[in-house]
Formats: sequence, structure tokens, C-alpha cells
Amino acid sequence: MASRLAAVVRKETREVLRDPIYLVLAIVVPLVVTTLLALGFVLDVKNLPVAFYDEDRSPLSRDYMSAFTNSEYFRLVKMAGSRDEVDQLLESAAVRAAVVIPPDFSRKLGAGDAASVQVLVDGTFPSRALVASGYIGAIDAQFAATLRAAHLARQGLIRSSVVPVSVEGRVWYNPSLETKNSLVPGLMVISLMFYPALLAALVLVREKERGTVFNLYCSPVSRWEVIIGKAVPYVGLAFFVYFLLLALNLFVFQVRFVGDPFVLTAAALLYIVASVGFGLLISVFCTTQVAAMLVTFIALMTPSILFSGLMTPVSGMERSAQIISRFIPASYFITMVRGVFLKGLGFGHFAFDLVTLGTFAAVVYGIAILGFRKRAG
Amino acid sequence: MRRRMIGLVRKEFAQIVRDRPLVIILLWAFTAAIYSAGQGRATETMNLATAVYDLSRGPASREFVSHLQPPYFKTVAYLDHEADVATWLDRGKAALVVIIPPDFQREVDGIGQAHIQVLTDGALAMPATVSIAYIAAISARYSVDVLERRAGMSANTLIRGPIIDERLRVKFNPNMSSSWFAALLELLNMCTMVSLLLTAANLVREKEHGTVERLLVSPARPVEIFLAKIIPTVLLVLICSGLSFVFVLVPAFDLPIRGSLVLFFSVTALYVFAMTSMGIAIALVARNMAQAVLMMILILQPMIFLSGAWNPPEAMSPWLRGISLLSPLRYFIDFSFGVILKGNGGLTLIWDIVGIAALGIVLFTFSLWWFERSLRVTT
Repeated sequence: MASRLAAVVRKETREVLRDPIYLVLAIVVPLVVTTLLALGFVLDVKNLPVAFYDEDRSPLSRDYMSAFTNSEYFRLVKMAGSRDEVDQLLESAAVRAAVVIPPDFSRKLGAGDAASVQVLVDGTFPSRALVASGYIGAIDAQFAATLRAAHLARQGLIRSSVVPVSVEGRVWYNPSLETKNSLVPGLMVISLMFYPALLAALVLVREKERGTVFNLYCSPVSRWEVIIGKAVPYVGLAFFVYFLLLALNLFVFQVRFVGDPFVLTAAALLYIVASVGFGLLISVFCTTQVAAMLVTFIALMTPSILFSGLMTPVSGMERSAQIISRFIPASYFITMVRGVFLKGLGFGHFAFDLVTLGTFAAVVYGIAILGFRKRAG
Repeated sequence: MRRRMIGLVRKEFAQIVRDRPLVIILLWAFTAAIYSAGQGRATETMNLATAVYDLSRGPASREFVSHLQPPYFKTVAYLDHEADVATWLDRGKAALVVIIPPDFQREVDGIGQAHIQVLTDGALAMPATVSIAYIAAISARYSVDVLERRAGMSANTLIRGPIIDERLRVKFNPNMSSSWFAALLELLNMCTMVSLLLTAANLVREKEHGTVERLLVSPARPVEIFLAKIIPTVLLVLICSGLSFVFVLVPAFDLPIRGSLVLFFSVTALYVFAMTSMGIAIALVARNMAQAVLMMILILQPMIFLSGAWNPPEAMSPWLRGISLLSPLRYFIDFSFGVILKGNGGLTLIWDIVGIAALGIVLFTFSLWWFERSLRVTT
């Protein structure tokens, strides 16, 4: 029995090794794609390019503008000379936000009136627009509160001009707020779901298309030996790629890493076993390589990106999305990846995630083995 | 010649339609997948899970906490112990923790300043920073209330104070509805993915099975064989896109169609033609499906993610921006958003159309040339 399994493993390994172009592609493509995406995607939330059009030109309006420029979140690109220039700066995407200060700004505020400031935000990239409008809102509210306190103190209605409540924000785990610290490990989570599954998805359908699957049907190997035997070489290959991706993270992108690499590696191995299993499952139920490919692309990749918490925290999602995310292995692995990379958490924190991943793997292999029927048609 | 072409096209079509799992996944791709992309994006960033660690436990702190409201915040827990703060952030159960100091009530009632601390999970940089900004805005507004109380004003003594009346206008995507954006983008991505994968896979399969030879000895000329591979994919993608407009984009997301759909679908056909030509080029280079798949990913993933739709071009390095000019998807996204969301006409978008057409022609001629060359080698 063990020798039959070994034979399947050997045959499948040889098939991979004897196609050197394929082998090289399987190793290089994940690395190249990760590098390209990491380079193109690193988008810091700081230094948002902004322009002002100050029609007031008073000390107060300068104070107001310095509230923006003193924060690390905005980078002054240009003081616009006219309203048209503001529009043009926004249209050419030279700035992502612009603030127009009206001529009566200081007069109205000095008189204790409302001054209307026009804020223009480029909505092309919704999440960036949200950051921009969030910050501008905070600066406006705080500036107004400070003025209000000073105003009331001047009138002698309150004793001190201090603003009653202040907020101190502290960012844990990623104090410098570098996006790469969450992005690059996140890309690893997606890669290790996608590539192993995709390659494994072709394995059985390929044999079905070529007709060599009949050799398996009439050989003494049992169903589980076929599935497990075919999984082993791909798990090995993906595990090798994992080490390269980890090296890319640590040495090329120098992502913050405070945890224990051993914990991460154990989690990654389990995750890879599960994703190869998903691929084989697809392979069992599809009849052509085209279909298997498209199923992996669409049914596995998109949900893994959308619902795993890669882009947005799962805790903030709607109920239905949260439920979907529980059925996606990437959600558990991403928790562990962030936990190890950024938070330095140990095995004890991940018992639940590890057990869940293990359950996923068991179920997937179970269905694949039961679904693979050793008969024609 | 026309009869031959029709015969070949019918053969390709039959091959696709008879593959049951393939048909199911195609329908899924153009309906459910697009829907879930739109839905998924709609839930973005908001309702940040907030845990409150209130050491003051007075009316003032309760009032402050009551301002942490949806759609920005969702209070998920009131913590009792300091150790819980780390646990909730570590487990990712809360995206931020608001800590209200024990002297909050005293400071607010007196004349001093109370310091609220906000801890956020920096694993996701965007929500981490934006939540601090929102809380800063909330506390500034709350401060104004406190100031008025300190000054002895009640709600009915109307007094004007200096306020900044912020007139926020979001340009180019007025209600920041990311669900339109995401759903339409997903449709364009699906067109890209399906047209590339389907054509390449079909040709590779013929290579693997050795049936290319059968085509070669048939009276059909290489151009005809090519067109026969391209036309079914073009038709299929057009039909599927039509379905997704009728069943998903318009009914589920109220996608406003401001421009001409005829123009949109004609250029889509042109785009699919470009992508299928690229697929054929890959199929000619690859020896088997597994190789072809990896080559396609190498092209597809950067193309989709660096198309400029996910991140602003200023975030990309200049050389990467240069490469992105070679991607047909880039022009197609520009074009589609222009036609559908802005209602632009063909003249305004002429450069995008030219870009798609030029890349399509180059890819088509290249793969045709390559194909004819490999013919001479094999025969």
C-alpha cells in the first residue's frame, strides 16, 4: 500500500521535473508577480498631495493652512492662483484634494460667524478620497473648536481657552504606517492559495483529457492513494515557493517581522496542503483544463481577495460578508500571517485558526477522494 | 470560404457550450462574481469595530461614546480590564480601542483638558489612520458642546460662534459609490480574463491532442483558423457582458448608463479581439496547458492590478507606469468609465480606442506571423 502511494508520488514528481520550463515558471511567476504588485501597490496613506486657493490671505487663513501642512498626512503641492487652476490641478491628478478659502474667511470667523470653506476631493479612488475627507473633516472641526474656545474666553464666558477634550492616536503593530507591512505579507497569502490550487487543478483533468486517467481506473491504486499521491509533489513545490516568498518579504521588501518564523512556517504548510486540496477537488469535478482553470480563477481567487480581510478588516464587514469570510481558508491564514509578522504572537494564539485550517483540509481531501470515482464516464 | 469559416466557428462554439462546468463558471463569472465584487467593495472601511475601555464611567464618557456611531464606528465591546485591550487588538476582533481616562468627568466638568487615547491596529494602514481622524473630529465637536456648557449657555440661548462650514465636494465619483466602481471594474476584468484564458486554452488543447494538424491539412487558411478561434470568444464575451448588464449591473447597483451602449459593446468586441490575439500568441509559445496558465498569470495579474483602477498612478514608479501603457486593459478601463459613467462620446475617447485597436492589430499580426512560421517548420 505504501509502495503504491510512493509510486504515484514518484510518477507525479517526475512529470513535474521533466518539464523544466513549467518548473521554472511555477517558481518564478509567483515571485515576479508579487514583486510587481508590491512595487505598484504600495500606497502610503500619508503625504496626500493637496492644493490651496487662499482668497483671504490673512494671518488666520495661514494658520488654517498650516494645520494641514504641519500634519504628515498632507503635502502641499501648490498654492493655486485662481479657481480654474484648482480645477485643473485636480483634473490632471496633480493633487487629490484642494481647499478653497473664501475672501471673508477671517472676517466672518472673527465676528463669530460661520465661514464656508470649499473642499474638493478626487473621488476616483474611493478609499483615498475617504482618508482625505476624514482628515480634512478632523482638521476643520479642531480648528473650529480652538477658535470657539478662544472666542468664548475673549468674551470672558469661560476661564481658560483650552479645548476640553484632546485625542491622542497611537498605531499599534505598524507605527510608521507603512502599507508594505500589511500588503506584502498579504500578497503571500493570496499567492499561496492561488498558485498551488491552480497547478493542482490541472493535474487530474489533464489525465482525463489525455485519456491516461484510464490507467488509474484499472490499476490497483485506491482512490485516496491517487489523490494524496498527486498532492504530495505539489505541496512540496508550493512549500519551496513559500520559502522564497518569505525571503522576498524579509530581505527585499524588508517587511517588519517580529514573530517566530517557525510558527509561520507550520501555518503555511497546513495552508498549502489545504490549497492543493482545493485544486484537486476542482480537478475531480471538472472535465476540461479550461474549465478547471476558470473555476480556480473565479471561484477561489476573487473571494479570497474580497472576504479574507486582505483589504478591509473582517470585523467591520456586514454580517453576511463575515459569514462568508469564515468559509475562506485565507481568512485564517491572514490572521496568522499578520499575527506573526506584525504582532509577534505565538502558537497559543492560533490554536483555533490552525484547527480550522486542518478541518478545511480534511473536508476538502475527503470530498475529493469520495468524488473521484474509479469508473469510466 | 464563408462556409468553411462558419463550419469552424460552429465547431469551436460547440466545444465550449458542451463543457457543462465551463458554461456554469462563465455564467457565474458574469453574474454572481460581479455582484459579490460590488457588494464586497460597498462594505469597505466603514463600521470599524470599536472596543471602548472606559475608566471614567460617568455621564460625560457615556455621552462621548454615544457619538461613535455607524456608518463609521460600530461599538463591539466594553472592556473591563487593561489586558483585554491587547487581546482584542491582537485577535483582530476590534480595529480600534478608545480609552477614556479616569479623570474624564472631572476635567470636562472643570476647566482643564481630558486626554482620550485611541489605539488602532496598524495592520491595515488605511482604517487605522482614518479612524483616528474621525475620532479627532468627534472630540472636537464634543469639545464645542462642553465649551458652551462651561460658558453657561443652554441649548435655547442661541449664540453664534465661529464655525467652519465645510462644503465638501467629491469630484469624478460624486457619492463615492464604490460598488458601481467595483462591479463595473470586475466586469472589465472578467472580459479580460475570460477572453485570454478561453482562447489560449482552446488552442493549447488542440496542440496537446494533436488536432492542430487536422486543422492544418484542412482547406482552411491560417487566417480563417485564427478568426474561427477568435470569433466564438468575442461573441461569448459580448453575450455574457450583456447578461451582466441586464441581470446585475443595472438592477443590483443602479449603474447609470450615461453614454451609448452600442459604442461600448463595439469597443468591447475590439478589446476582446485584442485579448484573444494575445491568448493565441501565448498558446503558440507554450507547450502544454500548465505552462500556458503560468504565462497567462504573469501577464494577467500585473495587468489587472496595475491598471490604474486600484491605485492612483502617482503611487507607481515611472517605469511601471511606462509598462502599463502597453496594457490594453488600461485603455479599456478608461474608455468604459468614460462612456458609461461620464457619458463621453467616441471622439473624446478616441485615443483609448486607438490604443486598443493598435495593440490588437499588433498582437494579431504577430501571432499570425508566428503561426505561419511554425507551420513551415512542422511541414
